Amino acid sequence: MAKWGMVIDLDKCTGCQACTTACAMENDTLPGESWQDVLFYNEGEYPSAQMKWLPRPCMQCEDPSCVHVCPTRATYKDEDAGGIVFVDWNKCIGCKYCMIACPYGVRFFADEQPLVEPDIRDTYPGENGQMWSPPYQNPEQDWRRGIGIQPKGVVSKCTFCYHKVSKAPEGVADLDEDDPELKEYVPACVRTCAPKARFFGDLDNPESNVNRLIADKKGARLLDHTGNRPQVYYLGAGASIPAFRPRES
Amino acid sequence: MSDNNIMKGGPGTGLLILSAVVLVVSFGYVMFQLMTVGHAAFNVSSKLPWGQPISTYLYFALASSGLGLIASLPLVFGFKQYYGIAKRAIFLAFIILISGMAVLALELGHTFRMLWAIPFNMQIQSAMFWMGVFYAADLLFLLWKFQKMEAGDWDSRNTKIIGIASFLGVLLASGNLALIFGMMSMRPFWYDGSLPIYFYLTAITSGMAALVFFTYLAYGFTRSNMPEKLQIVFTGGLPKLFATVLGLTILFVTVRAITGLYANNPEVYHVWADYLFASPLYILSLVFGLLLPFALMMSAKLRVNPQIQILVAVLTFGGLFAERYYFVVGGQVIPLFQGTWAWDMLQYTPSVTEWALTIMGAAMMFTLYVLGEKYFDLSAAPQLERAPRTAEPRQATA
Ligand code: SF4
Ligand code: SF4
Repeated sequence: MAKWGMVIDLDKCTGCQACTTACAMENDTLPGESWQDVLFYNEGEYPSAQMKWLPRPCMQCEDPSCVHVCPTRATYKDEDAGGIVFVDWNKCIGCKYCMIACPYGVRFFADEQPLVEPDIRDTYPGENGQMWSPPYQNPEQDWRRGIGIQPKGVVSKCTFCYHKVSKAPEGVADLDEDDPELKEYVPACVRTCAPKARFFGDLDNPESNVNRLIADKKGARLLDHTGNRPQVYYLGAGASIPAFRPRES
Repeated sequence: MSDNNIMKGGPGTGLLILSAVVLVVSFGYVMFQLMTVGHAAFNVSSKLPWGQPISTYLYFALASSGLGLIASLPLVFGFKQYYGIAKRAIFLAFIILISGMAVLALELGHTFRMLWAIPFNMQIQSAMFWMGVFYAADLLFLLWKFQKMEAGDWDSRNTKIIGIASFLGVLLASGNLALIFGMMSMRPFWYDGSLPIYFYLTAITSGMAALVFFTYLAYGFTRSNMPEKLQIVFTGGLPKLFATVLGLTILFVTVRAITGLYANNPEVYHVWADYLFASPLYILSLVFGLLLPFALMMSAKLRVNPQIQILVAVLTFGGLFAERYYFVVGGQVIPLFQGTWAWDMLQYTPSVTEWALTIMGAAMMFTLYVLGEKYFDLSAAPQLERAPRTAEPRQATA
């Protein structure tokens, strides 16, 4: 089985948020509850202040702390599915311990006050257990893997678009959106990225482009000291986020 | 035994009605909010997922553990002079734990799913799995222990074994509860292997406050109404023990604060400097909830004064409630990444629904408490003082 990995080249990323939008469309997430978003931040002060950004999906960690803490095994890492970390919506009890334990802040309870107003749930109230039911929905639903529209009371997160990736031909080294044969299997954020800053492939395959990029272009993991060992790698300058500093008001 | 327990009479019934009404109203309000608004009625978010309901649960669970530990003084360690408080302590430990669990149940996204999803999936890696195991065991042992006392069996071999098992259960439950926080290396404010000790100390302190308050309440806040055995406890070692645990709690908080303020790590330093010590309420809770009670209990004259004991119990109650709240929220106020969605420290104040949950827990505790005082003799102690061990010299016989 493959071990799916993502490579994000920060020197190419323009911070356009097309990935965030594509993810929200693909997975019908509520506005703001983006399983993948681009985090904008600043570093330094005038005259050397910088405006920076970092696209941030779930890292599908090799040693995921969210899985360790989950008391029900609702959150699990599926080695047979490329090492993707899923949430089983039939098992999650909504204790939110995984949200405490994830160092990357990429898990969503969503049954909370709206992040963006007006609250779209008022316009499209939930039916059949869904938190909200928009008129267009991705037909792919698999609650055992946290795919579909999130029900109330559980936690959701990026699935590396497993509903697409799982249909790719066996043994393929990379899922490249430029390959007409493969483009349907590419995760939404990767496929849509205009400057081609994102790559997706098999980290276990020595021939894969993602492995080559990590080796040749100095791929780095975000917050490596956590020991979670992400399956997402960043290329280029600035895969580091400055520590917290209170704002001077 | 003389019975001046006012909970058995009219005042008890009045308190029972009042607390039952508050319980029903607050429970009804929380349920209504959860059914209509859902968990959006809470002020927590994906950035700060654990709020006051969690700290309330923590507060209750640890007060219960503290009571369990205090009860083990006579029941496990042979301090027979404390026999008079044992039964009430065990009863309070039981009902306070139940009340805490009720609060936690309504905080969860799926309350009933928990009942099968945790036992059937056996995720032994998760400290929260062990929390379920240890607190369930704790509850069971408390009940068993209480039933033995009801039957008048204080000293048999079995009772002793249950007492020891119960003591270990309490240690495991509250120590593990500490590690739910203490093992989170990605949350540096909590990440601390000595946290179980802090939890034990604060547990005993809050348990002590509960014991003092509820014992006085049973006797109309008049010590001379208490059975003699209890009066001896309240003028003897117990106040000294109270002073000791208060002092140790203050020591622990001080050491944590100094470490945090000294460290450069912004995820710890800014919690202390810009959240905790920047909050007048936190400072007030330290001064009036811990320092003042400690100072009062240090005076040999004041610590045996009934009014002072009641005052200290009430102040400590409040002080430790705040301590738990600031501990839980403080671990999350620094955003994991400063930027979009969180440009500064995260803000959290409990919503009305979250307060209603806290009030519900307290009302449940009072309701069960009065029922307990009414239907059981919580001041019961062994009738005959038998020599604990044959090896010890027997009392002179006629
Ligand atoms: S990034 Fe967070 S949610 Fe994703 S696998 Fe790692 S710990 Fe779990
Ligand atoms: S919220 Fe759900 S997925 Fe997260 S730890 Fe709790 S049960 Fe597991």
